[in-house]
Amino acid sequence: MSYTIIETCTGCGACVRICPARAITGKKKDVHKIDGDLCIECGACGRVCPSAAVKDQFGHVCVMVKRSQWKRPAFAGDLCMSCSMCIDACPVHCLDLSEAKGPKDLHGYPYLKEEKACIGCGFCEAECPVGAVTMVVPVQQETPKKTKPAAKTASRAAS
Amino acid sequence: MNRGYMGKVLIVDLSKGEFREETIPDEVYEKYLSGIGLAAYLLYDRIPREADPLGPENILGFVSGLLTGTGSLFSGRWMVAGKSPLTGTWGDANCGGSFSPAIKRCGYDGIFFTGMSETPVYLYIGDRKPQLRDASHLWGKDAIETEEMLQDQHGPGARIAVIGPAGERLSLISGICNDKGRIAARSGLGAVMGSKRLKALVLDGKKRIVPYDRKTVHKLSRTCNKWVQFQPPLGPSIGTALIGALLRILPTAMAMDGMVYKMILRQWGTGGMNQMSPEWGDSPVKNWKGSSVDWPLKKSKSADPDLVKKSEYVKYHCYSCPLGCGGKCSMTGKYSETHKPEYESVLALGGLCMNEDTDSLFYLNELLNRAGMDTISAGATVAWAMECFEQGILTLDDTDGLDLGWGNASAMVALIHKMIDREGIGDILADGSRAAAEKIGRGSEKYTVHAGGQEPAMHDGRQDPGFAVHYSVEPTPGRHTIGAQLYYEMFQLWKRVRGLPKKLPFQIYHKNSKYRATENHALETAACSKYMNVVNGAGLCMFGTFLGIKRTPTFDWLNAATGWNKTPEEYMEIGMRIQTLKQAFNIRHGIDPRANRLSDRALGIPPQPQGANKGRTVPIEKMMADYWSQFGWDPSTGAPTGETLARLGLSGE
Repeated sequence: MSYTIIETCTGCGACVRICPARAITGKKKDVHKIDGDLCIECGACGRVCPSAAVKDQFGHVCVMVKRSQWKRPAFAGDLCMSCSMCIDACPVHCLDLSEAKGPKDLHGYPYLKEEKACIGCGFCEAECPVGAVTMVVPVQQETPKKTKPAAKTASRAAS
Repeated sequence: MNRGYMGKVLIVDLSKGEFREETIPDEVYEKYLSGIGLAAYLLYDRIPREADPLGPENILGFVSGLLTGTGSLFSGRWMVAGKSPLTGTWGDANCGGSFSPAIKRCGYDGIFFTGMSETPVYLYIGDRKPQLRDASHLWGKDAIETEEMLQDQHGPGARIAVIGPAGERLSLISGICNDKGRIAARSGLGAVMGSKRLKALVLDGKKRIVPYDRKTVHKLSRTCNKWVQFQPPLGPSIGTALIGALLRILPTAMAMDGMVYKMILRQWGTGGMNQMSPEWGDSPVKNWKGSSVDWPLKKSKSADPDLVKKSEYVKYHCYSCPLGCGGKCSMTGKYSETHKPEYESVLALGGLCMNEDTDSLFYLNELLNRAGMDTISAGATVAWAMECFEQGILTLDDTDGLDLGWGNASAMVALIHKMIDREGIGDILADGSRAAAEKIGRGSEKYTVHAGGQEPAMHDGRQDPGFAVHYSVEPTPGRHTIGAQLYYEMFQLWKRVRGLPKKLPFQIYHKNSKYRATENHALETAACSKYMNVVNGAGLCMFGTFLGIKRTPTFDWLNAATGWNKTPEEYMEIGMRIQTLKQAFNIRHGIDPRANRLSDRALGIPPQPQGANKGRTVPIEKMMADYWSQFGWDPSTGAPTGETLARLGLSGE
């Protein structure tokens, strides 16, 4: 099963740009097409589509979400076993292993290295056997000075 | 239906530059699993009789495991298989890192190469069709340099396996490297890749690996992980050395529980045994002639686990491994870092050559990783050359002026450089000790220690006869990662498989009993071989399975990932089928299994006059025949009988 595009597609190309598997093709302003063999069901096309033209593998029409509101992985250090399954699962390679935590704990731990590259697919969460990864909407921090510019750039990137 | 495997393999014809996808029916997975079983199934009748291992007819297969990517732990092993140029037998090698899931993410359970390219090429698989690309600019570069260049070009998601200069120059002891310091080293398959002029595989697929029941797989993984994370403080490493000494002195031995070894691995990695092992006679010394007396604690402290650990700055985990026995170490000199030298490398380049120079161990480890040469075989070949030098068979004229006295570290470094570059005497030694002895002659043959041409690893059959049997009877001779009496104790297979002898953890028995060729020992060795074929079909790591079958639930993981409902006995039969097929491969290629028997010296013929294994001889003939009987092979020749082949559904043709 894979995602599909319906006639409401305006051919804006937003999905083509975000698809990590390069599974979507189509001419500008024409209805686009998803190659079922290549689609990995990450759902990124559905989240960026402004004209509600993407159906998921169950046939539900996807709803566009502002990119700043996309879920991102949060890591629970105490559960993590540094096995790097999440890093391998990520289709956009936005995760990496950190340096050693300290002299007493030489293990490296996964972290979101390229926050802007994350497409919020949740594969890292799905493949972690010990539940150390949870997908959460980034919370706005309390000190307004720091968050405002960050929030602006994030929404600009989404639009 | 999702069953954890991808259901397809890719066949690349390097002569024609063509690609062919082949769909593998479900029944094949049920009969052979994936991984090494799939490779044996496909290569058995496709590599023609009498095929030259370094010719276009040989097929080189890169396979992932059935459990890889399904959410099970320890499942990051990939395997490479083909006809070995070193032994002429079935050849395979196993390696960790992050390459195994990459094969499956390209949509294949295996990638097989036939033919031979005229110019150096590398395989690239991204989102679209596979491509063979020009690799002339990479030819001659070392393994890590090549990997870095390809990584820069193809981005951080690309997973890369390469050969180094040793493989390019067809050294019969060369391997295939990935993740900047892991190597599938044994069986000399790097030379096969070199002969095909295939420099590298670059895999950047994004396919999802979907098991039948991910929830159950995860649940099993969580229970297993609890055992892995249980780690009491172990104290300084001298403790392990003293335990080794105590084990040597006592007339009794104790059945080991894998949790103890797990704790050592977690703390120091495989190097945790660096001092313990020579003490209790598990590690050979001075080209298998010496003993624990020649390599006392004062000398073995050059590879003190705590000393090695001091330079470790971050742990290294293979894909899906919660244990992390590897590490990255900083060092001074030409190279600034290296993967933590493993036990085998340290003892082969250390004790076996009487080398006490710690810096040279680190340097040689990195040098051989970059060259893509097997550290075990390289160390064993140098040790053999040193003994020949001692005996006057090799002189300063032969060695281009190198003084190959025991433990001369600078001469060792120079000699290994020559072996990699195939210069002077290095050209002769680059193909391992058996080939070198054939070329040099003059009675040097009697100082070689090998099984069918493959130098055995740093585990002494005179201490644990199980190793001697597996070195001698495996279709890949000289292999230490299949079984031993110690391994059987740790696998704890009797807890799940009916009819196997019990060896309860910490049970005490007399050492003499290890050397008796009893039926129980035959059952144990056969069980180890069958089980490890299942493990290699699943793509699991042997160290993970050392935790015991109840703590590392191989069979349950397989059932949950595939949706099958097979019993442990059925899985053991699959293991038996794979082993028999590999043996039938050898018979088909004219190998006499009896000729793969380990060299006399390593069997205690004559017995050692002193040290941990004083007076020990392995009754190898009886043990080999017993092993073959257990598999239903002819006990006098080692060839699978027609009846056995028919029972396992193998044609034997």
